[in-house]
Order: sequence, then C-alpha cells, then structure tokens
Amino acid sequence: MLETRNLTSGYGAITVLWDVNLTFREGALTAIVGPNGAGKTTLLRTLTGLLPYQGEILMGGQPLKGKTWDLAAQGLVMVPEGRLVFRDMTVEENLCLGAYPERCRADLATNIERMYAFFPRLKERRHQLAGSLSGGEAQMVAMGRGLMAKPRILLIDEPSLGLAPVIVNEVFDIIRKLKEEGTTIVLIEQNTRIALSVADDLHLMRSGKVILSEKAAGIDLDRLHDLYFAREGVKEEAAQ
Amino acid sequence: MSVTSPATSAPVASSRFQGRGALLGAGLVILALLPLLTGASPYMLGLLISALILSGLALSWALLGNLGGMVSFGHAAFFGVGSYASALLAAKLGVPVLLAIPLGGVVATLSSIAMLPALRLSGPYFALAILAYAQIFRILATELDWLTGGAAGLQRYPGLPTLFGIDLADRAGSYVVVLACVVLFAVVYVLLRKSHVGTALRAIAESEDATRVVGVNATLLKSWMLFLSAFIAGVFGALNAHIIGFLEPDYAFSGVWSVMPIIAAVFGGYRSVLGPIFGAVVIYLFDQVIAKSLIPVGHQILLGIVLAIMVLLAPNGLAGLVRRFFTKGQFNKTSEKSHAGA
Repeated sequence: MLETRNLTSGYGAITVLWDVNLTFREGALTAIVGPNGAGKTTLLRTLTGLLPYQGEILMGGQPLKGKTWDLAAQGLVMVPEGRLVFRDMTVEENLCLGAYPERCRADLATNIERMYAFFPRLKERRHQLAGSLSGGEAQMVAMGRGLMAKPRILLIDEPSLGLAPVIVNEVFDIIRKLKEEGTTIVLIEQNTRIALSVADDLHLMRSGKVILSEKAAGIDLDRLHDLYFAREGVKEEAAQ
Repeated sequence: MSVTSPATSAPVASSRFQGRGALLGAGLVILALLPLLTGASPYMLGLLISALILSGLALSWALLGNLGGMVSFGHAAFFGVGSYASALLAAKLGVPVLLAIPLGGVVATLSSIAMLPALRLSGPYFALAILAYAQIFRILATELDWLTGGAAGLQRYPGLPTLFGIDLADRAGSYVVVLACVVLFAVVYVLLRKSHVGTALRAIAESEDATRVVGVNATLLKSWMLFLSAFIAGVFGALNAHIIGFLEPDYAFSGVWSVMPIIAAVFGGYRSVLGPIFGAVVIYLFDQVIAKSLIPVGHQILLGIVLAIMVLLAPNGLAGLVRRFFTKGQFNKTSEKSHAGA
C-alpha cells in the first residue's frame, strides 16, 4: 500500500530520518513506536508532504506526487499530533472541513451521519465550539475530520497524548473499530503496550532509524522495552 | 451563565443564524437611512460618503484577516493603486468612469501579485512585509511623473457620471453608489464565508498545516483572498478618487488608509461582517465631528483612547455588544468564546 525506500529527511540542515525503509500493508494497522526524538512525527510529516525528503515514497507501487493537499485528496490523510482541531469552529464545521476534497463533497450529509453514528458524543456536541471540548472529544473530532476525507490510508499521530488512561482506552476502542472496518492505519504511539494491543505490524524507531520491524503478534513486550530504552540485557521492572 | 442542554442547542443555532441574516438586513437599511437621520445636510452627506469609503476599506481588511488569517498593514497600497489606476484610465484613455472603477480594482489586484511571496510569512512577519510593500507604490506614484503627475498630483480627470437622469456626482448620488458597493461586497463576503471554501479559510487562520493534511490548498486559497481584498480596496480607492476629484501620492497612499480600516474593523468587531462597516461609520464621524472640535490638531489621539477602551470592555467590538444585547437570556454555547472575558 505505502512504502518508503531509503527515506532521509529532516528540518533544513538537521537530518532526522536516516535511510528509513518501511512497508505499510493494505488493510493492516501498522504501529510505529519509539521514544521522544525518534523521528516518528517527522516520518508522518514527511509522508504527508509537509517536509522535503530524499529517497522514495511509493503508494500502490507509484511514487507519491504532489503537495500535502494533493496527497490528502488522493487519500493520504493525517490526524495531526496534539489533535489541532479548529477551536473557533463548531464540531460539525470541523467535520465538514475534512470533506474538503472534491470527491468527498457529494455525499457530505450521509458521511456526517456516519461519523455521528461512530462518535455519538460528537452528535450531542455538534454545535459546540471545538475549543470547548475535552481532550478525548477533541481527539474524536480530529479522527472524524480525517475519516471525512475518505482516507485510503489514515495516519494518526499520538492519539493518546495528554489523555487520561480511561479516555485513551476509549480512543483505542475506536481505532480498533476502524481497523475492523478495513481502514488502513498508520499509528504513531509512545504507549507501547496499547499500540501492541491493536497493531498488526510494529516498527520500533530510535534516533531516526528503524531498529525493529515485526508482526505484532510475535513481539515480547519486555524485549521491546529493552530495545525501546536502549538497555542491553537489563530486565525491566516498571513497564506500565 | 447558563448552558443550554445539547438537545436544545440545534434550534438555538439555526435561529441564531436567521437572526444574523435579519441583523445584516436591518444594518444595511440603517445605512441607507443614515443621511435622512442625520439631517441630510451637504456637509453631513460628505462626511457619510467618506465614512462609507472607509467602511468598504475596513471590510476588505477584515475579510483578509478572517478568511485566511492575514493581518495587513498595507491596504493603503491597494487603495492608492485603485484610485490612481481608475483616475488615469478615465483621464488618459477615456474609459467610462463606471467601468474605470472596477478596472481600478483589477489593477489593485494585479499589484497584489507582487505580494504573493509574502504569503510564506505569517502573523507579524506578513504584516511587516506588506507595510514595506505599500511604500513602494507611493514612491512609484511620486517618481513616474510623466504618468501620475508626480508629487504635484492629478486633478483633471472625470468624476462620477449622470446615469438615467440621476447625477451620481452630487452628494446624494455618490452616497448611493458607495453604499451600493458596500452592500455588494458585504453580500459577497457573507456568501463566501458560508461556502465550504469559507470554512476552510477560517480554519487556515487557526492552523495552516491542519488544513493542508485534509486536502486544503491553503496557499492557493490565501492568494485568492489577497486578490479579493486588494480588489475591494482598489474599488473604494477608485470611488474615492472620482468623488473628491484630486489625487496626490501622499494622500492616495497615506498611512491613514492602512491604519483607519484597522481601527474601524477592531472597533466594530473584525470577526463579523457588519462590524467593520459600522465601526468605520462610528469611528469616522466621531473623529471628524467630536474629536476634531475638541482637539483640532492631533485629534487622532482620541481615536486611540476610544479604541483602547473598546478593546478592554468589549473585545468583540460593536458587533459583540449588539450580539450580547440580543442574545441576553438565551445564551447559547456556540458563542461561548465571544462572551468569555467580555
């Protein structure tokens, strides 16, 4: 579905990603975990065309072409880190905005109802300003907005950021449901345990490199944490 | 403050929208009746015409700020280019004045193309770039004296014509023409804001990246808004030129045309459509009638004081005050933010 070959990118003179080779399978949920500064968000920003890069990004075997908005119109849609909902606009306006690409506008009304069926809480709050929502609700708005764009592949950046544990579970229930509906998802997460619980494939990044790529089913959490924290052979005691 | 339950929020929101439309209509009727209400003396009409010119300019400034999030310190450039272009087209090429005025807007739009590189900048950096840019055109108007008459100015060009037996050049006629233009652009603004493009533009003002990742070509939309804003400013510059019948660079490109629309829009409530229009009328009349009689030289200082008081007491300006008056008792969630801190 989506593939990177020797992807190198960063900010100006600072290179963050070094020769990243990743494959994201169609219909699968691929989780990318790693500590702060591993380059996870940089990877998503590069994939969505917000950063210049060297190397190749292929979608369906074809090199990605175009600016961020063209990519979104082609179905490569991101739910940004920190949610970035439009605070001065209502929940419904936020959702409508997701359907900005031309191919999404015709069935806008049915699509909105589909979102409300998916996120009943948002229906209650449809005329409320997004800035007045709780963190969990804002995350739902951000995901709903992404889904309104009918993604072929949905990139979600740290949905658990700043959320209470019980809300994190709620958000991941939704992600699980999305996956069951067949949406191809790339998920960036720091919470390895919860990422592992929904993922099909898992990649561990550290210092701008991919250091582990495996099927999620076969991964031992302790070994993952050792690699995550760069501890050689040290048994870990307090993985939450 | 009471909060309506979710179940009732939908009808409240739709009635609020109808209320907004009614308010817009009522506001425009008030503008139309204003000359009669103020006694219709030629002096008063002259002031009202200038006030409405400022209304149009403030509307064009607020449009750029709301739809796209661009703060401009350089609307004098578009205003001046529009006025010179229209006056020169009418004087040198004999273009009919009513055609020259929109063409003045077109030339102002063309001049804004030079501003496109500044769209890469945001916030205060954009504002500073456009401030510098406005100076370029003042210098051009002064230096190209074979075309513009240079610093001596431009005087011999036609005024507004007589149309269907109505002399548009007399004060009542001019008032109607300027008012019609204000109404036209207010309607364009409202329709644009309601469209899906308008929603996207409002979102761009908050976070450009977040709009890009859902497929909005933010750069393109912002360019269109810059063109539209320049066009509107240019048209009002052209109207002003044909009404007053005299142009010089220091007047047409004066910083006043950059600063006054900002004061007017902020005073009136720059987030609304009617706010900048009425803000301009109130601020201009206050400045000319009250402030000038109190302090003949340096009367603008009172504008600063009035603006500061307004910002402190009612951050959403006149429009916010009016809305608060009408929604008293039926507080609704969607306007929560505009009430906070007010």
